[in-house]
Amino acid sequence: MSNVQSCYQCGKCTSICPMRRVSKTSPRSSIYNANVYGLETKDIWTCLTCGLCPQECPQQVDFLSFIREERQGKQPLDIAHLGVFTELADLSSKLNGNIADKTTDSKIGFFPGCVDSLDLFLHDVKTNFGEITTSSVKLLDTLGMKPQVLTMKCCGHDVLWQGKKDIFDDLKAHNKKYIQESGIDTLVTSCAECYRTFSKDYDLGIKVVHISELLDKLGLKINADVTFHDPCRLGRHMGMYDAPRKALTANGVTIREMEHSKENALCCGVSNFMNCNEQTKALRIARMDEARATGAKTLITTCSKCLAHFNCLKTEKDAVKSYDFDVVDLSVFLARQLGEPGKKEQGSAKPEV
Amino acid sequence: MKGSVAVVGGGIAGIQAALDLADSGFKTYLIESRPSIGGVMSQLDKTFPTNDCAMCILSPKLVETARHPNIELLGYSDVKSITGKAGDFTVKVTKKARYVDETKCTGCGTCTEKCPSKVPDEYNAGMAKRKSIYIPFAQAIPRVATIDSAHCLYLTKGKCGVCKKVCGPKAVDYEQKDKDIELNVGSVVLATGFKPFDPTSLKHYRFDHPDVITSLQFERLMSASGPTQGHVTKQSDGKVPKNIAFIQCVGSRNPRIDRNHCSSVCCMYATKESIIAKEHDPELNITIFHIDIRAYGKNFEEFYNRAQREYGIKYINSRPPEVVVDANNALSLKYEDFNTGDLKSQNFDMVVLSIGLDPADSTRSIAQSSGIALDDFGNIATSIENPVESSVAGIYVCGVAQGPKDIPDTVAQASAAASKAAALLSGERGTLIKEREFPEEKKLSIEPRIGVFVCHCGINIGSVVNVPDVVEYAKTLPGVTHAQEMLYACSSDSQVTIKDAITKNDLNRVVVASCTPRTHEPLFQNTCKEAGLNPYLFELANIREHCSWVHMKDKEKATQKAKGIVSMAVAKSALFQPLYKQKVSLINRAIVLGGGVAGMTSALDIANNGYSVTIIEREKELGGMLREMTELYDGKKPADVLKEIMGKVAENKNIKVINEAKLLKVEGYLGNFKGVVLANGKEMPIDFGAAVVATGARNLEPSGLFNYGKDPGVVTQAQFEKMLGKSLSANVITMIQCVGARNSEREYCGRTCCVDAVKNAIRIKKANSSASVYVLYRDMRAYGVMEKLYGNARDLGVIFIKYEAENPPKVEGKSVLVHDSMLNEDIEIASDLVVLSTPLIAGENEEINQLFKIPLDKNKFFLEAHPKLRPVDFATDGVFLCGSAQAPKLIDEAISQASAAASRACTILSRKFIETEGAVSVVNEAKCIGCGTCVTVCPYNAPSLYDVTVKVEEVTYTTKKSKINAASCKGCGSCAAACPAGAITAQHFSSKEIGEAMDAFQKGVKGISIDKGVVEVMV
Repeated sequence: MSNVQSCYQCGKCTSICPMRRVSKTSPRSSIYNANVYGLETKDIWTCLTCGLCPQECPQQVDFLSFIREERQGKQPLDIAHLGVFTELADLSSKLNGNIADKTTDSKIGFFPGCVDSLDLFLHDVKTNFGEITTSSVKLLDTLGMKPQVLTMKCCGHDVLWQGKKDIFDDLKAHNKKYIQESGIDTLVTSCAECYRTFSKDYDLGIKVVHISELLDKLGLKINADVTFHDPCRLGRHMGMYDAPRKALTANGVTIREMEHSKENALCCGVSNFMNCNEQTKALRIARMDEARATGAKTLITTCSKCLAHFNCLKTEKDAVKSYDFDVVDLSVFLARQLGEPGKKEQGSAKPEV
Repeated sequence: MKGSVAVVGGGIAGIQAALDLADSGFKTYLIESRPSIGGVMSQLDKTFPTNDCAMCILSPKLVETARHPNIELLGYSDVKSITGKAGDFTVKVTKKARYVDETKCTGCGTCTEKCPSKVPDEYNAGMAKRKSIYIPFAQAIPRVATIDSAHCLYLTKGKCGVCKKVCGPKAVDYEQKDKDIELNVGSVVLATGFKPFDPTSLKHYRFDHPDVITSLQFERLMSASGPTQGHVTKQSDGKVPKNIAFIQCVGSRNPRIDRNHCSSVCCMYATKESIIAKEHDPELNITIFHIDIRAYGKNFEEFYNRAQREYGIKYINSRPPEVVVDANNALSLKYEDFNTGDLKSQNFDMVVLSIGLDPADSTRSIAQSSGIALDDFGNIATSIENPVESSVAGIYVCGVAQGPKDIPDTVAQASAAASKAAALLSGERGTLIKEREFPEEKKLSIEPRIGVFVCHCGINIGSVVNVPDVVEYAKTLPGVTHAQEMLYACSSDSQVTIKDAITKNDLNRVVVASCTPRTHEPLFQNTCKEAGLNPYLFELANIREHCSWVHMKDKEKATQKAKGIVSMAVAKSALFQPLYKQKVSLINRAIVLGGGVAGMTSALDIANNGYSVTIIEREKELGGMLREMTELYDGKKPADVLKEIMGKVAENKNIKVINEAKLLKVEGYLGNFKGVVLANGKEMPIDFGAAVVATGARNLEPSGLFNYGKDPGVVTQAQFEKMLGKSLSANVITMIQCVGARNSEREYCGRTCCVDAVKNAIRIKKANSSASVYVLYRDMRAYGVMEKLYGNARDLGVIFIKYEAENPPKVEGKSVLVHDSMLNEDIEIASDLVVLSTPLIAGENEEINQLFKIPLDKNKFFLEAHPKLRPVDFATDGVFLCGSAQAPKLIDEAISQASAAASRACTILSRKFIETEGAVSVVNEAKCIGCGTCVTVCPYNAPSLYDVTVKVEEVTYTTKKSKINAASCKGCGSCAAACPAGAITAQHFSSKEIGEAMDAFQKGVKGISIDKGVVEVMV
């Protein structure tokens, strides 16, 4: 349960809310309305759940839990892409699903997340989401870890944040069983959302690792200037700021930080496939402008949603602004430097997991 | 002058001609001798080279023809004679007795089911049986039964009479007689098509053996609607064949039996049939025995290559003289292996005879009775410059009636013939057509009051679905105020019943549960309009194709499903709002890009149809590539041809020519384009309603090939053509075909090069019979009636030597070395002159493709809207295509296409206004984020972006918003599905409407199970 009753209406949350910069939304008043009068406000749906306000709240109100509880069982105002990803999750929750691959006894499991359906429906953003998986597996192989690739159902992140806990629970039940049967003791994800979900919203009893925690041992010497966008799920939700940066700098990469980074990072603008609108577009533009200002040739992130949203802005038919830099997933960026397996020097040390 | 045209023949040629004429404002009679229109195309399984399903692309055209208010269909009718003169013809027609009243028959098929008499089915090329009272195929138009009087038991023996007894609408009439009628028309288009060659006379091919079949029979065997539901089986024992042989040129390229022509299509259809058969059964071995493989059309060579590379189809250049049947009744073929000289024999389970195209009997009979000249082959005679004009002014011809050709060339000629007829009668345009009038729409009450009409369709639905049960169920659905059953919802008395019910119950939504909206929606929409309801308040629930026809064996579940379908339609219809078509004015003026023979012809046709047209030509003078030529293959001088056509262009007051000009900019849409032309260094605006792209092509310069450019004794065929205009001193001339074509770099066939080589070889021999001419070729592609030209060249002593692609000729100084693949020996030809036949390549098409956003193919030629049925259209409305800009072609073909493009343009220019679709997509600007996804996905160029400044609290940015031009939008909904922000609504198919329908269905779902890839929904 959220501790929303301890809110004393100071309004700090609203002032810091990124959505407030682009719309008349107010975390404060949504707490007030709900807490005092039991009213619903549409603000509970405009919230990006970026996690910025609870960080600043003097009363340590758990605004994210509040939003999730408020949304529970209600109909979202809008879901982008006509809700196709929600429908897919709903559908897959009703189907039988795969069983764990018994051909390998690797104790490490890698879960690709929803890259396939992103490739299927977001072909116009010109991003090869599948490459995130191939890159991640290649990197893990290079590090001497031969993971099982887990063909589970969707982790349920989006539906959980869209107030559809029943679907989430179905997905979770299947995935938990799958993981149990797979016999792994470590679950690696490259997706920030999966990472958060498996860490905080599942109770797996095994180690959940984000791939960026492993990549500083690659031993690559990459001469490149990049900037790094902290996905809210990896950063503020999980507090992981240093691992992805170390994964870059340890491999020779120079990071040029944006005006807002780490705890203060701006949101990509669109979380869990809700709210694709003028406001969220403004946030995307604001973030991409910051990235451009660093002068880096590449913007790196570790969330496929951030990747999709930035690249969507980049590939617009008649772009509002041109952004002359690549937006690339961390694993993809590093794996592209590996070259052919065996040909290049490889990191020898096996990291502890 | 009469504002009406008779089109004779209801195959794809006649259908296209009739549709173009009707769309251009002429009353059109379409006369077909068979019970249904559709011609041979309706019998085909797939079409080359895209393997599109033939019926799937033809059937919408059939329906459109049936529905068109300006087309009067005279099915099962023969033309006896045509008399009179241009502008005023009398066409005598015999309407053969169907013994069924067309106005009463609903096509329910009850009579067919009960008829006891079975006879061979022509539609299935004799391989199945049909009844004596029959509808030839499922998509037949008109969909009425016909009694085969030669076999009907009642008509032949006076017994039976079952059909009359079971006919619900009382349509059977044994007393019906043939009826002679006279049509008074301004012009006639002959589209009498062809007759498939009957191989019975070629006894050594053993067509009497059940496993020797014609290519048309094979086509039926592969078709899902054929006698074996698409399973290729042997006729002798029903087993699946392992080895199949095709024998090409059966009834073609055979002067011995007076078939001097190549049938133009057999190489490709054999290739197509082989590919499809292999797709059905990858274990099959297929061998095609041929003379030349004539893959000359757009994408044909690529198709032929794929057949070999991807499907492993074997092509053997050798023709077996006979089909050998052994004592066990097994088949084998004997043939000479050209590589080794050995005589080989191979066993086959099935032999397919690739039969040629013979002129139709009606072509000859109508020509004879009406004094129309035929050519040497029995086709309607025409000339290169006037490829669709018969010897009688005002009578035009198109399709195979003019000479063997494939479907796209046929469709182009059909539009061309329409263009000529329309030009002749342009003064009478619109005089004989009528528009329907409807009462004013009544005011829509707020609450939905839905009427549901459930159709028995005779026994089609009623024998499977419990219709009364569905009616009772419908009455329980929310918003339904009236529900009833109907025997035939589409019959004319039912329309009265529906109208009465609308009035009596004050209905404001109508749902008919019957068959497919494809054929029947317009009928019921009109019924609604007649009762004062907006047509978009109507919904069809398809409980026949989607239910009773596919669940015949489970009546209980079928009834359940029918209820589900009805509940979905009802739920959806409750949300319907009236939609209106907008009328947009248009500019009745066209532009033609390019002033070659295609561009000039197109401009002349448009001008003769009564519309202003501007030719925009890049060069100083009109004429294009024809200027470079010195003789046509019929001996005419291109200069004379050009002079005549340029004279006509100069004289015509409707035509304006801008030389040394180019189109810089274009915006707008169908009927309302605004462009900018640059000429003489000045930019000037030009407004137009339609555009024809006729920018031609250019000759390939074969730099670096065969010493070209280094040795003055090596020239291109185009340069040689010019040399032939003067006197020629060379005595030994060697031509090399396929230079820079049919290779990995340029896969396509140049199409015109073989004919050009043959033509010029003949010219050399005629001027100097002692000259030696060698033509080194891979396949001689002298298709259609050009075969005769090829024969002439051989008769005159031109020597043709075949070489293989892997072993091309070499030019060394004055000698040409070639490995003769027929002889399997190296030959050296000491030559005075080497002539390289190079293909036409695309011109600077990239600029124009950007201007109009029209696509290019991989060879940079323009890509037409559909390779089969829309050869001169673009997907973008209002822009048309002709000549070599589309792909290389001969002059007469370019001229046909040019007239066709004009005809298509005139279907727009002749309108008083452009009527938009009613159910178009609309953008909610507040939700639009201007990402441009809609612009990318729209096939019709309807959405566009415009600038807006968005101010959201602290952040201000300039972005785009989308707007959809209703005049270009077809309501396909692609944009609505793709819009990430959900800002676009496809009206009449909105997410809400579809969602309500799905929810209605879901309410009844008790469970979903998946077993071995089969999803079963329990209701």
